[in-house]
Amino acid sequence: MDITITKQDNITILAMNGRLDSITSADLENEINREIESGNRRVLLNFSSVSYISSGGMRVLLATAKKLRTEGDRFGLCCLTADVHKVLKLAGFTSIFSIYSSEGEAVVGWQ
Amino acid sequence: MSDGSNKTIISSAWQPVPGVSDANIYPYIRKCDTISSNSYLIETPEVVCLIDPGNLPEQTILMAALIEDLLNKCKRPVVVFLTHAHVDHFLAVIQYTPMAAYFKEAVLAVQKTGADALERGDKYLTQADILGLTITPIKTDIKLLCDKKQKRTDITCYEDKGASIKITKIKTDDPKYPLQEEISFGKKNLFSVYHTPGHSPDSICLRIGKLLFIGDVLFAANPGIAGMYGWDQQTLIRSLAGIQNIIKENDIEWVLPGHGRIYPASDAVCALEILEQDAYKLENIAELNSNRAEEIAACADDCMEEINELFTIMSGRLRYVAYMMEELGESGMAEEMTGLIKSDVIDELLEAFSSFSIQHHNSEKVSIHLALKAGQVIGKLERSFSKESLTDIIDPTLVTRAQNLLSDYTTMLRGFCPPDNRSECDLNSILSKIIQDLSCPRCSDDDILSSVDDETSFIRMLTLRLGSQPLLTDIDLFKSFNPSLSPVLINRDIFSDLIIYILEDLVGIDATGITIKTWQNDTEATVAISGKSESFVLSEEALIKKVFLRLAARSGCAVSLKNTDKIRTFAVSFPIQQK
Repeated sequence: MDITITKQDNITILAMNGRLDSITSADLENEINREIESGNRRVLLNFSSVSYISSGGMRVLLATAKKLRTEGDRFGLCCLTADVHKVLKLAGFTSIFSIYSSEGEAVVGWQ
Repeated sequence: MSDGSNKTIISSAWQPVPGVSDANIYPYIRKCDTISSNSYLIETPEVVCLIDPGNLPEQTILMAALIEDLLNKCKRPVVVFLTHAHVDHFLAVIQYTPMAAYFKEAVLAVQKTGADALERGDKYLTQADILGLTITPIKTDIKLLCDKKQKRTDITCYEDKGASIKITKIKTDDPKYPLQEEISFGKKNLFSVYHTPGHSPDSICLRIGKLLFIGDVLFAANPGIAGMYGWDQQTLIRSLAGIQNIIKENDIEWVLPGHGRIYPASDAVCALEILEQDAYKLENIAELNSNRAEEIAACADDCMEEINELFTIMSGRLRYVAYMMEELGESGMAEEMTGLIKSDVIDELLEAFSSFSIQHHNSEKVSIHLALKAGQVIGKLERSFSKESLTDIIDPTLVTRAQNLLSDYTTMLRGFCPPDNRSECDLNSILSKIIQDLSCPRCSDDDILSSVDDETSFIRMLTLRLGSQPLLTDIDLFKSFNPSLSPVLINRDIFSDLIIYILEDLVGIDATGITIKTWQNDTEATVAISGKSESFVLSEEALIKKVFLRLAARSGCAVSLKNTDKIRTFAVSFPIQQK
């Protein structure tokens, strides 16, 4: 899985590509942790090219949500594919995270 | 010299054969698969015996090197025994040069039915057909264990290829004991061989000292093995009882199977007892041939995809409940939640299947491998979650459907024909019941309020409320049912599963409103379920999931999918019963 990191308006956007399974979710977690340790505490995950999320991937999402809940922190997901949205919705996750239809919507919402 | 009694028999090392002086064994134990069997090499001053040469080049190269080493030390005849003539037990010896050289000089001993199959190059009895392998006729030297109808003297002497072998038939009229022969290569009897058909008609067990080689009988009731060409339930049941007698009455210490690890005799007896019970349940199973293997493999991918999704949702739901409980300061409860399902194990299994499937399709291997791999993964998944514990927390329809998918696949792989449980039903009332179940929380506001005085009860209600969120919460539902719908013939449970899958699909595309309509014309009654999605682009070329099609066929209806503009519609149609 490729993870591309970009910055926009003080927001760190991690765009993934491929399947978020038990191996790649560990890579994602490392990247997220590196950003958080560097002080980047407004994190947006772009799922536009993610076709699959495993239970391990969902664990990383929850772990990140726990780390980013102090005043001023932000954590959200955007551009979910239908398959990933379905799994997150039926697992109850869509009520935990802020979910946006596009990066732009999140950026505007977090200003 | 020690006869090796009670010492563990280990793989890939020479060690004494317990109960026999001057005999040593070199076991070559492989992990269980359909590619190649274990091999066992035995040497005495008079003979070198190879039981099941296997079907891997590296395995036969090793065996050839070991035999060469033995013959360099002391020139002796080489005898190759097959516990049965399935290709995974022998094919490499005729395909790979190093072993083929020894094989030509070796005496090949096979039970009569297997020997005949080898000599005519029978691709069915050898399983070459289903495994996509080619087999040419192979000449055998000794036909073991001819039954009473087949002519054979009580003592047979074989003198060729440097060997002097005497085979003595042991007479017994007791049906408890299988047909038996003693084989000697010198003055002493070395092997006892027993006819133990069932897994295949030519299956034999070989006993030397306190070791019993049993071929593939331990797997004979496994899904995907039971029902293979030549498999027979009744003879298997008789053989299983006979093998248990052989173990008990000959002071057997170790049982050496055709695949996988060596068993202490007591463990093997337990396994055989369980197997016997399983074998009794395998009545009227369909034959597993290459056509059926293809059908099963075609289902394997779709079925595993759906299983993957359901297990991910269930794991996610538990993680969600655990997260919320931790937020509420119930860390202990949170930990308990995540322990109810082995998510890591499940992820690993599902990913392993996914990789196997990709490799399988890229290499165009035969279907049986994919079908069996799915069966193996499903067996492990069944052991990785507890239905009862999960339904105490998360939506029972998720757990039941996961369980149904697993058992439906196993049923298909086993070759059972599921009973046709269709009955005449009123579609409208079934739909109303499904909608009601998916709309009402399992734990109502009143339930949770009445539990507040008791902490344990309150926590239970809280987990139930978090874990079982009704699918149709927050959905605007529009119903338009034709009140004079004719009854239809339907499998109610499977139809209910299908409708829940359809509703989940629509909730998954973020449909905020769902419409359910029923109507009928002269020939069929139809349920149309549609939802409008503002969040996703719905391709007009989208294909319906094959799992939906299978469920529809089994419940007695047809299902189709249509995406137009932003609306997805599923149409489920039933033929109307003609009065």
